[in-house]
Amino acid sequence: MQTGQGLTDRNGTSTPAEYLTFTLGKEEYGIDILKVQEIRGYDVVTHIANAPEFIKGVVNLRGVIVPIVDMRIKFKVGVPTYNEFTVVIIMNVLGRVIGMVVDGVSDVVALGPEQIKPAPEMGTALDTGYITGLGTLNDQMLILVDIEKLMSSEEMQVMDQAN
Amino acid sequence: MTNSGQNNNSIDLNQFNQVFFEECAEHLAGMEQILVSLADAGPDEEQLNAIFRAAHSIKGGAGIFGFQDMTVVTHVLESLLDRMRNHEIPFSTAMVDLFLEAGDVISMQLAGHRDGAEVHQDAIDLIRCKLQQVIDSGAVAASIAAVDSERASSDEAVTCLDSNDSVAACYRYELEFTPDPDIFKRGIRLESLFAELEELGKLTVTAELQSPADFSTLDPEICSSCWHLSLETTASEADIRDVFEFVADVDQLKLLQVANHPAAVANVPESNRLDLPCETDGDAVETAVGRRIYDKNELAPGAYGRRTVEADSSIRVGVTKVDQLINQVGELVITQLMLAQTAAGLDPVLHEGLHRSLLQLERNTRDLQQSVMSIRLVPISIVFSRFPRMVRELASKLGKQVELKMVGDSTELDKGLIEKISDPLTHLVRNCMDHALEKPAVRVAAGKEPGGTITLRASQTGGRIVIDVIDDGAGLNREKILDKAAERGIPACESMSDEEVWQLIFAPGFSTAEAVTDISGRGVGMDVVLQNVQSLSGKVSIVSEPGQGTRVTISLPLTLAILDGLSVAVGDEKFIIPLSSIIESLQPSTGSLKSVNGKKVVHVRGDYIPVIPLYELFNLPALVTEPEKGILILIDVDGEKAALLVDALLDEHQVVIKSIETNYRKVDGTAGATILGDGRVALILDVNSLLQMQKKKLSL
Repeated sequence: MQTGQGLTDRNGTSTPAEYLTFTLGKEEYGIDILKVQEIRGYDVVTHIANAPEFIKGVVNLRGVIVPIVDMRIKFKVGVPTYNEFTVVIIMNVLGRVIGMVVDGVSDVVALGPEQIKPAPEMGTALDTGYITGLGTLNDQMLILVDIEKLMSSEEMQVMDQAN
Repeated sequence: MTNSGQNNNSIDLNQFNQVFFEECAEHLAGMEQILVSLADAGPDEEQLNAIFRAAHSIKGGAGIFGFQDMTVVTHVLESLLDRMRNHEIPFSTAMVDLFLEAGDVISMQLAGHRDGAEVHQDAIDLIRCKLQQVIDSGAVAASIAAVDSERASSDEAVTCLDSNDSVAACYRYELEFTPDPDIFKRGIRLESLFAELEELGKLTVTAELQSPADFSTLDPEICSSCWHLSLETTASEADIRDVFEFVADVDQLKLLQVANHPAAVANVPESNRLDLPCETDGDAVETAVGRRIYDKNELAPGAYGRRTVEADSSIRVGVTKVDQLINQVGELVITQLMLAQTAAGLDPVLHEGLHRSLLQLERNTRDLQQSVMSIRLVPISIVFSRFPRMVRELASKLGKQVELKMVGDSTELDKGLIEKISDPLTHLVRNCMDHALEKPAVRVAAGKEPGGTITLRASQTGGRIVIDVIDDGAGLNREKILDKAAERGIPACESMSDEEVWQLIFAPGFSTAEAVTDISGRGVGMDVVLQNVQSLSGKVSIVSEPGQGTRVTISLPLTLAILDGLSVAVGDEKFIIPLSSIIESLQPSTGSLKSVNGKKVVHVRGDYIPVIPLYELFNLPALVTEPEKGILILIDVDGEKAALLVDALLDEHQVVIKSIETNYRKVDGTAGATILGDGRVALILDVNSLLQMQKKKLSL
């Protein structure tokens, strides 16, 4: 993760950016790999009082208290089951550490700008506002998510809104 | 928790001096950093304010600890900076040098107090004179030349004195006077003795406590100090001995004639002796033209700003490093618990050695955890106990009668908080003394006691540390503040509420004082208060009643405090309730439970206390929903009582409070979270906000 190889270069537009891809239901999503801190299994969470259902609670990640968001519940895709195969992506978003439960993590792919197309106005569980584009890789479509925008949004209720 | 507090029962002044030295060195370093980074364009408002604040804080601290010589220089420096802030004196690059030089002189004085290093009075006078010239002339350009020539002449004077002993009819004597312990009982007044000495020449007096005094057993009628006097005079040794004729026996007075200043050879402490050849070498003085005389010493271990004695000093470590350490130790404890759990399944006979080692490990980790945690906690009395002396001295200076009350000074808080809160509190107390409290005559006229009261109160309430500074003085003057705001160009209008008006006094440079004194009135205090408190993500609020007094409340979050808590179970979840808010826990009998408007109350020793079922408040599936089957925990929130219904009591813990807000948002009813021995997170309840939640719920 720390090698600067193949990352979006401010000048060189042709440099491909790397994305971590994961599945939610039948859809394949991708987030900027630089936002990902680690991937771990699902642990026992401590429930947070009066939080929305998709916020599973908080866990102890080596002394840091990290909230866990279940995207499957939030976007009503897949079946929220918790077993030894449940995956949590721990991300660093806007200086915060947040865990995100998804159906599965697939791959890390590099996408050049020519492989990314703007998203149409509909069609995904996610609001189009949080989608930076649609990537194409070997006939497979990737929904690229602006995870910072999503996590800081009002509807996720993860962060205190300004004021 | 308590053991760290017990060491502080007796006041050791040196301990506080050390804090001041460290703070002062920090301020100086900060000031220097800004000065050095300045471009030709000069400092912007922010930088100027920062330099000013540093000077102001040093002066304030020096005042409290009685280092009068340091306040003198900083006061002049501050005056100049204040003029610059008000654009009365333009900036010029030459000023940077001047300020740096002033900083060096203050460092030198600091080193003098801290390590007993030599202090050059001529350097101090010189810098004062230079600064004053700039203030008087209103510009630096004209004065520098004059100052330079003056410096040259003063250097000349020094060399001249050095080379020509005959000029030195004026001798310097170092006297060490150890009076009889019962000297006071013999009716001898040391003041008049010193006054007599002063008639002979220039006298400086320092007192030294011979034994580290325990103030609780100190008898003011016994003189336990030793006096160091330094006298520059033309008088002979016999003349001086005459003064002590009936006061001191021969062995009580040590008299040492020092060749001449500045080569006060005999006065140089042991640590500096290495440099003596350089000090006495006439050539060195010659080559050092243009440099300040004490510069020669700057590589010496005891030179200004550098300390000689490392023993007994403290190391300042970044808070993040300690936090990291605490986290890592926490992880270690969890790992140890996991090991213990695994080992419990093994046959104790076959694995006896393993079990013994694990026990050892447990002990060691517990000790380690305790030591690491104790690094951070200190009682607030460390800050509070600076004030009695300051208040006393200021009161006599201002001609006011003031009583200082301190409540809750055993409240423990984070070291980081303690350090940062001392400056704001100093400013607040000074403000109280200077502005708020009236002179006795005015107070009597207003129908109040002639003596005013300042109360410092610290407490831990609702997951926050609250420090109040309360005075019974005149209160804030709304009209005056609004006028001043208009004058300063701060947006304000008549229709603002009192609270909004009080907030105006936090603007930089705001002061309603008529005269600038060396105590306050420059309007820098409240600015510093707000900045420091905000940097701790705390809040400052003011309540003021004309004629009745003012209360300034500083409320700080428990960034990382340790809390004694009781862990309870509700359904599958564990919560920590702060022990400080718990009165008792009980299993209610069916008979003691009553109902008011459909809401349960419990009858405990004549009181009807409302029951708050936690499972209901937090929407949790609980095992117990009937109060008579569960356990009620009686809590007290500012005199208001409530009974929390939980499933079971689990254990008593000392827990590290961690913020949930770091990565998540604020959670109602909680003061933070902690990590339990099994690695799970438990929320710490904030009883204050629980009560609010319950009330809100009932009113719906």
